[in-house]
Amino acid sequence: MEAFLDTIRRFRAVDGRRLTVAQSEATPFAAVDPGQLRVEVAAGASAQLAVVHTAAGAASLEIDLAEGARLALTEVFLAEAFAEVRVRQAAGSAFALVVVQTTSANGSWTVGLEGRDASCEADCLFLAAADEHCVVRLRTDHRVADCRSRSLVKGAAAGRAVGEFHGLVYVAPDAQRTDARQQSRNIVLGDAARIVAEPQLEIYADDVKCSHGATVGQIDDEAILYMRQRGLSEAQARRLRLEGFAGDVVSRCGIEPLREALDALVAAKLELF
Amino acid sequence: MAENEKELLDDLGGQEYKYGFTTQIETETIRKGLDEQIVRLISAKKGEPEWMTERRVKAYRHWLTLTPPTWAHLAIPEIDFQEIIYYAAPKQQRRLDSMDEVDPELKRTFDRLGIPLEEQMALAGVAVDAVMDSVSVKTTFRETLAEKGIVFCSISEALRDYPELVKKYLGSVVPYTDNFYAALNAAVFSDGSFCYIPKGVRCPMELSTYFRINAAGTGQFERTLIVADEGAYVSYLEGCTAPRRDENQLHAAVVEIVVERDAEVKYSTVQNWYPGDREGRGGIYNFVTKRGLCRENARLSWTQVETGSAITWKYPSCVLAGDNAVGEFYSVAMTNHFQQADTGTKMIHIGRNTRSRIVSKGISAGRSENSYRGLVRVGKGAANARNYSQCDSLLIGDRCGAHTFPVADVRNASAVVEHEATTSKISDDQLFYCRQRGLSTEDAVGLIVNGYAREVLAKLPMEFAVEAQKLLALSLEGSVG
Amino acid sequence: MLSVKNLHATVDGKEILRGIDLEVKPGEVHAIMGPNGSGKSTLASVLAGNEKFTVTDGSVEFLGRDLLSLSIEERARLGLFLGFQYPVEIPGVTMANFMKQAVNEQRLFRGEEPLTAAEFLRMMRERSAVVELDPKLTARAVNEGFSGGEKKKNEIFQMAMLAPRLAILDETDSGLDIDALRIVATGVTKLHTAENATVVITHYQRLLDYIVPDVVHVLYKGRIIHTGDKTLALKLEKEGYDWLINDCRE
Repeated sequence: MEAFLDTIRRFRAVDGRRLTVAQSEATPFAAVDPGQLRVEVAAGASAQLAVVHTAAGAASLEIDLAEGARLALTEVFLAEAFAEVRVRQAAGSAFALVVVQTTSANGSWTVGLEGRDASCEADCLFLAAADEHCVVRLRTDHRVADCRSRSLVKGAAAGRAVGEFHGLVYVAPDAQRTDARQQSRNIVLGDAARIVAEPQLEIYADDVKCSHGATVGQIDDEAILYMRQRGLSEAQARRLRLEGFAGDVVSRCGIEPLREALDALVAAKLELF
Repeated sequence: MAENEKELLDDLGGQEYKYGFTTQIETETIRKGLDEQIVRLISAKKGEPEWMTERRVKAYRHWLTLTPPTWAHLAIPEIDFQEIIYYAAPKQQRRLDSMDEVDPELKRTFDRLGIPLEEQMALAGVAVDAVMDSVSVKTTFRETLAEKGIVFCSISEALRDYPELVKKYLGSVVPYTDNFYAALNAAVFSDGSFCYIPKGVRCPMELSTYFRINAAGTGQFERTLIVADEGAYVSYLEGCTAPRRDENQLHAAVVEIVVERDAEVKYSTVQNWYPGDREGRGGIYNFVTKRGLCRENARLSWTQVETGSAITWKYPSCVLAGDNAVGEFYSVAMTNHFQQADTGTKMIHIGRNTRSRIVSKGISAGRSENSYRGLVRVGKGAANARNYSQCDSLLIGDRCGAHTFPVADVRNASAVVEHEATTSKISDDQLFYCRQRGLSTEDAVGLIVNGYAREVLAKLPMEFAVEAQKLLALSLEGSVG
Repeated sequence: MLSVKNLHATVDGKEILRGIDLEVKPGEVHAIMGPNGSGKSTLASVLAGNEKFTVTDGSVEFLGRDLLSLSIEERARLGLFLGFQYPVEIPGVTMANFMKQAVNEQRLFRGEEPLTAAEFLRMMRERSAVVELDPKLTARAVNEGFSGGEKKKNEIFQMAMLAPRLAILDETDSGLDIDALRIVATGVTKLHTAENATVVITHYQRLLDYIVPDVVHVLYKGRIIHTGDKTLALKLEKEGYDWLINDCRE
């Protein structure tokens, strides 16, 4: 955890309960155990924010993106925190979310697309082992026409762990030409592990492209076989597959030093699988 | 009347009591409302054995502790359960002398659905002596079933003639504790069908035509029990494409199916109860509990085409208890105007190598609300369980809702569960293309919707598939353009 | 047969057709050529009645009827056929079922008895031979999973089934290899009689090697700027449109 925090310390620390980004910032912001935090990104400005939960407790984030604003948020759970994040997006804004849970955690994200041409991308990963219990709740509200959202939530549960994904794409009446895609991919690795996936769609407009898919399964055997044929041990092959599985999400993190730290974090966690 | 027709009728009269679905017309009703006394009275009037009465009472007492479920995506007006008469004989309809007396509107619908004339007569309540063809169908039907040892009768008759079978199986799949409406049904069920297919017997015909004609006038709280003993097979069809009106607004049916080892049951439903008018007034509330229990190597397939009712609350389910059991659910649910439907299935994988498949096609038009709700649960012991679900929604117009609420709950590390859902609409390009070839807008919509639902319709028995296609087109009238 | 006068049409408020005049007589083959975006496909769509476009001025007479007052399907039943540039996929609806309905609607319109299933199947077998369409395709869903060539053959097959008085073929040659082009074009030629007419919309001269036009029109910016005989197509192939366009600069 220390190595991970060292990376974060190189970013600009968010003090207090409010972060206002008036103009585009190249250096990422970082908030550790933020408690209550309000983030505002001004029209046309862009920023990157890392939020890290290192202690049990509750956190609440309110995020407002003004017209054309861009925010990349990477949220990492190193301790059993309960986080609630609400995002409001004005026209033309873009929000990119990456979530990594490597311990018991409960996170809830609600993204409101409230202005035309707003877009949201969410990539979440949970790795639950032993008795851990990970929860990802992701709600995307398409309140107006012409918005896009895409989400990919990946989870693996080993040991006696439980992983839960509750997703909802809501499309309001008149939110025509909505393009919403929701994917949930899960792996059950232990005989006592459990995955619950609930990808929901609630749609009140007809000219929309909405889809979701959810799978619960195992590491695919053919890939393992293929790698073993090339000389890898089964354990190595499985490990590689899991790294690849997690890597799809981690690679979406646009903050480079943080992405490297996440790779290391995930690698360490996978030792338990 | 010709002599041979008379003979057939006499024959029918003589056999009616033995097999008949046509319940005797009761003239008495009891006071409205529900209490323990009423439950005992219902049981007494039906001449049921003591154990059955006690079961009803137990269910009633349990029901008192429950409240109506509110989790569905439905706006259900409050129902006053004390305003309902729980024991009333089916309303005696005036017998009509010929098809000329039938409401022209109803006749038009029959014609457009392509229902054979004889069946039209039976359904419309034309005097039975005019319905020669279907009478003879019925008669030969009974003989064939009896030869095979197949029991197919009303639940009341089964309680009298096969009490051991009923005692063993009734409530074994849907216990009275299951839910609010199942408890209510268990306490006050009026009647329904009982079907038993003995070991190794393959029912030689679809249990459809027969049932269809008799289905008119089934009660408000219907109870169906189907038992396919080891290695048996039956295809059962419930309901009718013809529009059905009923003065009882609330319908709470229970269907239980027991599929023993190596047996197979196909259960098809076409539901076209009165959906209310274009402004959403009236219509049936249809709260149904349907579930089947599959033993080792057993197979249960639910196919439903739901176009009727103002409110539908229905989740035909499979409990895959035995190893290698297979459950299937194929559904087309269409809502128009102000209809609401919350329907789907539960696949409960308990045995090893159990497989299930879900194909749901929702169609919403007008200002209706249409939800798919499904649960796929894989228990700890269900090694190698497989599920594949495909849930599609088609929206027609921008004032309706189409929703998908699936849950996958997996506790086994060798199971694979997959769910996919898409949402689409009928594109202007598709309509233009069809109309350019000379089809009217309504015909084009009917064609496209039937294409969309094809995978499910193909699972219906042949003659019903054709009617169901027409039904879908008919139910959509006025929803486009 | 078809008489278009001063036809103006818009889509989303933008004027695409800006005064088209066109006369087509029975037995004639017309070719409409022109650079991209000149309004060729719009003209086809407007004549077929596509409701995406709004006719703002002008008149169209077809077989003595006011075409613009008719719905899409009425125009079709009357004998106007549009071969689509991008034929639409209709999942789950078999070609056979689709065509049966289309053919019988037309018969109904003419006061004829609908075909029985057997008569229809025989007709389908015969007509599918016209374009060498694999009969298996008629059992598949309309255009679903068809290759580009199959889709175009399928359009001509439908034309053969419906035997229109006027066929408007919108870029029927696009996306076809040379063999498919020959089959499609030969099919169109076989279907041509002294009573019906064909309007071919195309970019390329090569289609006109097979379907020889009586008249060639050049459409540019929503107007027919030049009309000639079949030699015009050859000239356009060699010299492009510039010489014509320069001529008519506003």
